Amino acid sequence: MNDKLETVLLKAAVMTFEELGFMLPTPKLDESQQHATAQAAVGVQFRGLFAGELVVLVCGDWLPRLAANMLGEDEPPSLLQQFDALGEIANVICGNVLPQIAGPQVIFNLSAPCPVEIPQMAAIDPECPAAKTQLGLETGRAEVRLYLHSETA
Amino acid sequence: MTLNVLVVDDSAVMRAMIIKSLNLSGLPLGQIYQAANGEEGLRALRSNWIDLALVDINMPVMNGEEMIEEVRRNSELRDLAIIVVSTESSEARIEMLERHGTKFVHKPFAPETLRETIQKLIGVSDERQVGNGAAQSSGYDF
Repeated sequence: MNDKLETVLLKAAVMTFEELGFMLPTPKLDESQQHATAQAAVGVQFRGLFAGELVVLVCGDWLPRLAANMLGEDEPPSLLQQFDALGEIANVICGNVLPQIAGPQVIFNLSAPCPVEIPQMAAIDPECPAAKTQLGLETGRAEVRLYLHSETA
Repeated sequence: MTLNVLVVDDSAVMRAMIIKSLNLSGLPLGQIYQAANGEEGLRALRSNWIDLALVDINMPVMNGEEMIEEVRRNSELRDLAIIVVSTESSEARIEMLERHGTKFVHKPFAPETLRETIQKLIGVSDERQVGNGAAQSSGYDF
């Protein structure tokens, strides 16, 4: 995997969770964060100079808190709103990462965020993400994976 | 003068965040309308008096760019004040949107950034400056 891509992905993910999700991610994971199980995932597909998908995987139980933070509410919102919030996180990370990889003049079109089934993720993992990063969030972690497809738009 | 605002974004959570940000801005707001894509946005514009539209770019059905082009082609809507609120970072696309007379706010954004952009675009006063004392800086970034 490319170190520069991973740095770009990490910076964009940290900024997005902090500024949009009002959460404080940690780059180092403790044992409970490392072993948190996958609960949900959302992907944003993109096409432009190259095509691919950015996936955010939720490990642990921080998604209700993220959505509540984004809505400024104390109680966790509906599951639909939780996925909507996660989708917006994925969208913002993706939108911030692509110009840093491809250059500021390149135009990409992003799809609406879609939930990704966890078993489906295991199936696409053999493709190997071009870059992957993980952040500690509460007692779990977020994994952000960038997949690049060979075909162009 | 109060501002009727249309918020167009396919994410209901993001629409709620933008509306919260507007409510914190201290701007004199009237009605706030919502739409989940460009097509719904155009319908809202045709059936309501709206002073300002805050429009996302990447949306299903009709994206923000198509909606803005449609607005600028329409003789009744073409002077609408539009701010694009998007994750879009491509300078080429931002320049293209600005040629349509729009301003641009990059996600995530601070409520202050949105307020200042609105003030620059339409010259509306902050309610606090005329003595209503509505909002203070929230410290939030949306």
